Amino acid sequence: MSKIYLSLLGCLLLLCTQVNAQDRTITGTVTSKDDSSPLPGVTVRVAGSSTGTLTNDRGEYSIDIRPGQNLLFSFVGFLNQEVKSPSGVTNVVLVLDELSLNEVVITAGGLTAQRRELGNQATTIRSQEITQGKATSVAASLSGRVPGLLVQSTSSGVNPSYRLVLRGNRSLTGNNQALVIIDNMISTSDILGNINPEDIDDIQVLNGAGAAALYGSDASNGALIVTTKKGRAGKTEFRIAHTATIEKVSFLPQLQKGFGSGTTPDDVPSYTPYENQQYGPAFDGSMVEIGKPIEDGSIQTVPYSAQNSREDFWKTGLANQTDFSISSGDEKGTFYLSAQHFDQKSTVPGEKYKRYSVRANAVRHISKSLTASFNTNFIANRYDRSSDNANAYQNLLMSPSQVDITKYKNWQTDPFANPNGFYNEYFQNPYFTLANNRERSRNDYFQGNLELRWNPIKPLTFIYRTGISARNLSGKTTVGKFTYSEYTKSISGGSKTDIAGNVADYSGFTTQLVNDLIAEFRTNLTPDISLNLVAGTTFRENSRKDVGVSANGLVIPELYNIGNSLNNPIATEANYKTRQVGLYGDVRLGFKEFLYLHATGRNDWRSVLAKENRSFFYPSVDVSFIATDAIPLLKENAVLESLKLRGGYSQVGQVNLGNSTNLGAYQLLSTFSQAYGYPYTSGAGFTQNNTLVSNNLKPEITKGFEGGLDFELAPMMVSGGVTFYKTNTVDQTISVQTPLSTGYSTLLTNVGEVENKGIESYLRFTPIKTANGFSVEVGGNYTFNKNKVLSLSESANELSISTSGTNSRIIAKVGQPFPLLQVSKYNRDSEGRIIVDGITGYPATNGTFSDLGVTNPPHILGLNSTIKYKDLRFTVLFEYRNGHYIYNAVSTGYDFSGAGIRTAWFNRDRFVIPNSSYLGADGNYIENTNIAVRSGGADFWTDGTRNTTIGENYANSAGFWKLREATLGYDLPKSILSKTRFIQSATISVQGRNLFIWVPKSNLYTDPEYSSNGSDSNAVGFTNLGQTPPARYFGGSLSLTF
Amino acid sequence: MLALLITATTSCKDYLDINNNPNNPTSATPELVLPQAITGSANIASQYNNYGLHFGGYQANAGGFSGFGLLFNYQLVPDTYNGIWVNTYDNLQDYKYVIDQTEGNPRLVYANSAAKIMTALNYARLVDAFNNVPYTEALQNNANLTPKYDEGPVIYQDLITKLTAAIAAIDAGTSSNALNSSSDPLFGGDMTKWKKFANTIKLRMLVRISGVSSLSAFTTAQFASLDKTLGFITDDAIVNPGYVKDKPNPTWNTWGYSTAGALANSSRIPTKFAFGFYKGQKLVDDWRGSVIYKNFAASTTTPVNQLGNEVNAPTIVTNYSTWYTGTFSSASSIGNALGVLKGPSMGQPLMLAAESYYLQSEAQLKGFIPGDYTTSFNSGITASFTYLYKDVTNAVAKAVAPDVAAYKAANPASYLVNIALATTAAQRLEAIITQKYIAVNMVNSDEGFNEFRRTTYPVTSPTGDAYNNIASLLSTSTRADKLPSRILYPSSEQSLNSGNYKVVNQFTDLIFWDPN
Repeated sequence: MSKIYLSLLGCLLLLCTQVNAQDRTITGTVTSKDDSSPLPGVTVRVAGSSTGTLTNDRGEYSIDIRPGQNLLFSFVGFLNQEVKSPSGVTNVVLVLDELSLNEVVITAGGLTAQRRELGNQATTIRSQEITQGKATSVAASLSGRVPGLLVQSTSSGVNPSYRLVLRGNRSLTGNNQALVIIDNMISTSDILGNINPEDIDDIQVLNGAGAAALYGSDASNGALIVTTKKGRAGKTEFRIAHTATIEKVSFLPQLQKGFGSGTTPDDVPSYTPYENQQYGPAFDGSMVEIGKPIEDGSIQTVPYSAQNSREDFWKTGLANQTDFSISSGDEKGTFYLSAQHFDQKSTVPGEKYKRYSVRANAVRHISKSLTASFNTNFIANRYDRSSDNANAYQNLLMSPSQVDITKYKNWQTDPFANPNGFYNEYFQNPYFTLANNRERSRNDYFQGNLELRWNPIKPLTFIYRTGISARNLSGKTTVGKFTYSEYTKSISGGSKTDIAGNVADYSGFTTQLVNDLIAEFRTNLTPDISLNLVAGTTFRENSRKDVGVSANGLVIPELYNIGNSLNNPIATEANYKTRQVGLYGDVRLGFKEFLYLHATGRNDWRSVLAKENRSFFYPSVDVSFIATDAIPLLKENAVLESLKLRGGYSQVGQVNLGNSTNLGAYQLLSTFSQAYGYPYTSGAGFTQNNTLVSNNLKPEITKGFEGGLDFELAPMMVSGGVTFYKTNTVDQTISVQTPLSTGYSTLLTNVGEVENKGIESYLRFTPIKTANGFSVEVGGNYTFNKNKVLSLSESANELSISTSGTNSRIIAKVGQPFPLLQVSKYNRDSEGRIIVDGITGYPATNGTFSDLGVTNPPHILGLNSTIKYKDLRFTVLFEYRNGHYIYNAVSTGYDFSGAGIRTAWFNRDRFVIPNSSYLGADGNYIENTNIAVRSGGADFWTDGTRNTTIGENYANSAGFWKLREATLGYDLPKSILSKTRFIQSATISVQGRNLFIWVPKSNLYTDPEYSSNGSDSNAVGFTNLGQTPPARYFGGSLSLTF
Repeated sequence: MLALLITATTSCKDYLDINNNPNNPTSATPELVLPQAITGSANIASQYNNYGLHFGGYQANAGGFSGFGLLFNYQLVPDTYNGIWVNTYDNLQDYKYVIDQTEGNPRLVYANSAAKIMTALNYARLVDAFNNVPYTEALQNNANLTPKYDEGPVIYQDLITKLTAAIAAIDAGTSSNALNSSSDPLFGGDMTKWKKFANTIKLRMLVRISGVSSLSAFTTAQFASLDKTLGFITDDAIVNPGYVKDKPNPTWNTWGYSTAGALANSSRIPTKFAFGFYKGQKLVDDWRGSVIYKNFAASTTTPVNQLGNEVNAPTIVTNYSTWYTGTFSSASSIGNALGVLKGPSMGQPLMLAAESYYLQSEAQLKGFIPGDYTTSFNSGITASFTYLYKDVTNAVAKAVAPDVAAYKAANPASYLVNIALATTAAQRLEAIITQKYIAVNMVNSDEGFNEFRRTTYPVTSPTGDAYNNIASLLSTSTRADKLPSRILYPSSEQSLNSGNYKVVNQFTDLIFWDPN
């Protein structure tokens, strides 16, 4: 910027604030009533004239008026205030505008708008709500709070990942998770999972593609706009806080406690001391031997009665979180610095997790017209956990309950706990499994962005942003070498084979670079018509690299280095890079502050597509109408404070070519790779890989309508709203599975359409608010989503997304909701009775899959309440989900082992299958009242065709009620704190999360929120033993501010 | 800003042209695909062997394991052994790529012909396992996503014609791009061996359908036109791309030891039915028995069982696969041996010379081709001993002739060993097929199962003891022999090609050449 230009600018500014010599000067400071902080940028206007000024960074103003004139103070988010005939020093205190319509919120592109201007559904979650439950992940704290948002914790353990989906699944195999924006830069959901929740100021949830359309092809899934805290001018604040949280297993699968070890044949159950299966005789309290004699001849003896060790195996977890932050600033700028240390031991023995986070956010006003700001955040997390939790859990279930498994922790020193002497002939000591299979991994996240905001003339602002999000990861998985003693091998034959040991080491990075340039022009065309024009461009580059090496078979035990191997290491490498350019415009026309028309258009160019399909455009329009401001009758109504009607249409394309690892790069051409052990010394050998790609892949397009209203009522401060939406996603980019007889197993192509319809609603009110400081606020939100697959490929009306053996699968099926759970069922007669064999009484599977239902909840209800009395604050949050189903892939752990409750439902006696029939001599099915199963023990329950491969036995409603959060906080009275002189405020709180879960009786197994396919997979609806039992958390915090 | 936008849009092209795959090639020469495909077929041969071990009555459960379920009762599901279908079509796609890339190019006629011969071998194996399979509409990629199933006999006839054409193409070819040990891990570029191999596959297929009356005209004509001058393989057709301990032979890796030196599978031991052909219950064969089975010597005990018997089932010998007769001292020190599990670097047989001789013997016995069936039969026994006496380097490490003579002498009254003692054609056939069953034990066991289904040999007695009953003790089969007659079509076809998928019964539906 040249000096000439600067002085020109100065002239312009001077013109705006001409001074009349005859006037007298009024000065003063404008502060906020809320926290007494000075308010910069407040418009100070002489009533009835065009003269005006703004407050400076200290909230100070100076203006000349003539006698008798009044001053008007206005500032976004605050109620206007008029001061009549001011004189001398006039300090003004502005009151926050409680009417949420006037609230200023951040919208797509980091632009701001008053809520009244928005034509789409948006929800703001404030820092209080995010941090009060002390959830370690921001995602966890959003559960049950936002209409239209499904937050799914897909597993247990440390730092579980969350799946965040707005308005249902649009894409069948592509990404359906909401776009994450942090400080106006596109970010990733794993950064959201690791960001320090205490750093967050608020989160703006844009439910639909329309609201987020400016983000282009990433926005079809809606967006979460996270804004981190900034320092405040004129006030320096130190905050230190500590939270300790205890974690206890809250939901254990139902297990039988009547029978100990034994297996087939089971006509008369017999006790087997070293057996894993639990089909032995009923417990009788007598002393029995367990295991085989160890090498010194000794053998263990225990009472033959149920122990509680399968419950006691899970530990009490403990997490400690320490927070420190400084917030400060003056008229030239502000800063916010924070640090957090989090340390957790989970319920799984030996599982540990640590997270460190530091952040610096700063704003500097370089000149009147130029502001620079930056946000930086460094997060480091460290995991130390078992890589084989699923097997450890299975081994635990393979422990008959007369054995107190918790005695076998010291497998290195205790001969009975060591694999050589462990009582169980076929399954390992779960403590050994956990200890011998480890994964230590680390992630360093860095996120930084810089923003320059230049305001050369009043209506025009240029914003330039550049940012980087980087993740650097590495880790090591190890399997310890174990060689059994000759003695053990000699008495155990083939069931004990040496563990060769292995080690794998991996590292990689992801980098995202973003450059945005935006020009914004805000003006009033006439006193009644406002215009807001935005043009912008964005450049983005994503890259990723992964390198891994592994070696199988260790030479020296416990030396976990790739070089310590009998074999050559195996190495892998993968590199991905994608780029994107976007060009967009945004127009908002306002009429008399009650009618707003808004339109956006964006064109994207994506590197991952073929040249001819690379460029694509999508528009959106929305309208907002404030009925209470437009219609005088409503305006004067004392009950109705505000009523806003809104609606919009949008069209957004999503490029769905890959996943979060490959970023969609290089998917357009089939590839070759070495196979069947190649390369050998004889040379190289390549195979054609099994993915076929259609030659004209395009983005999938989501077209969406939404309409709704928001209202506020004066009595009991009611606010509420409802939104109806409908989206249709066409040209789905799907890897259609093809029979291998075509030569390929998948075909990547554009086919199919998915429709989502739904309702999002919320209601908040304050039924009680008394003068002595007692208040009760109640809020709720309800979401209904109904989706349906309208079409798939020409050749198939089903698309398999995930399978669990022959028992169950998750598919997309034309005419059905997605994802659809199918299970194998019993052979049934026309009356629905289970057909059993006329001689053996055994049922059988019909061998085919039948529809069970959708796996995403159609109904989600969140209920919350805040009760305040003076300095006490109690909050509670419930969530309900229902209408969906889940399949638990656990038959080996529960029924094959005999640990599960089902196997004892008939007390291991022969029984008649309830509601069954058999084929009579006349060819009709006869009600079965007397043909009992040939065996009610192992021969029945462990058998595939009779029990364990019948999927319906392990499927159930995934519905639940959860007490998500309850907190009680107490602010120490100022009277006490004032004696300390330096503590400004102190808060003590206790809080609990996931305190209770209520599930239908049919759910015998686990938290139905879990998904064994992980958070990135659309195929929710399966659990297995990899998800250890869910836990409840409760803890206490102390927070001090200086 | 405008300038920036202009720069942006004009430089977009270069900015966005970053789609060259840095991870995998997007094309490959046929010479790089062919060896991988051949090695793949060898791997699949090992998978067929596993399936044959189960249904052909070679392998039983060891003590210490339970939960075998359908392995015992033959209540098969579509997943049972469906890998052989899935992997074969995957493998066939690679041959198709080689054929498409080389077709009509005289310089690449050898690679083209080798790919066609291997394609025929793979389809023939598929038909033998599944009967009707996708053939004419298979491997059409996008063009046909639901290929129809062709009839087994039709496929067989076409394959035989294609093999004839492949032999002719090699004869006509003067390829400058000869195959070599790098591009041909089967014969190292020896095209005569390829032709003999093709001729032997033809012979196998013709013998297999020789009893199908509706094909008798075709069969007779094809036998007549078989190139007897060219002849058939006289040495084992063994694939070895350079297997080493890290990248071992697939059979070794399945039934011997893992790359890290751990015992690969301790839940299986030999059946008494198969073992009885060595240990004296049916035949005395100390020579082959002692190189195949651990602890075969008289003073020790080889763990054997009947499939389905869980009462006092013996466990394996500590640290040892029952089919490994070398020395294990630690995970890092596993010695090479003779027999069926020679060592990690042994080659993988696609077809044994012994099988070639037994096929010739049967064709001679039935008068389809000229020659003396007795000579071929005896050559078969010698070839079987020869294979088992080969070490990992494919060198014969033990004298064969004296042991063959001793074997004959040790079974003086058995026409199964001394075919001259057989008095009827049925007995002669029984001898040929029984010796073939013994020869392919743990090598190409699927051929043992195929020939059992076709001929009912070796003789089984469902009510007999474990040495004489080929089937599982817990068999629910409705057949006289208590075995399944076939496996089911895979679940992937059930869900992805449902229009053509057929529900079949594993006891009553037969492969077209199976009269039993």
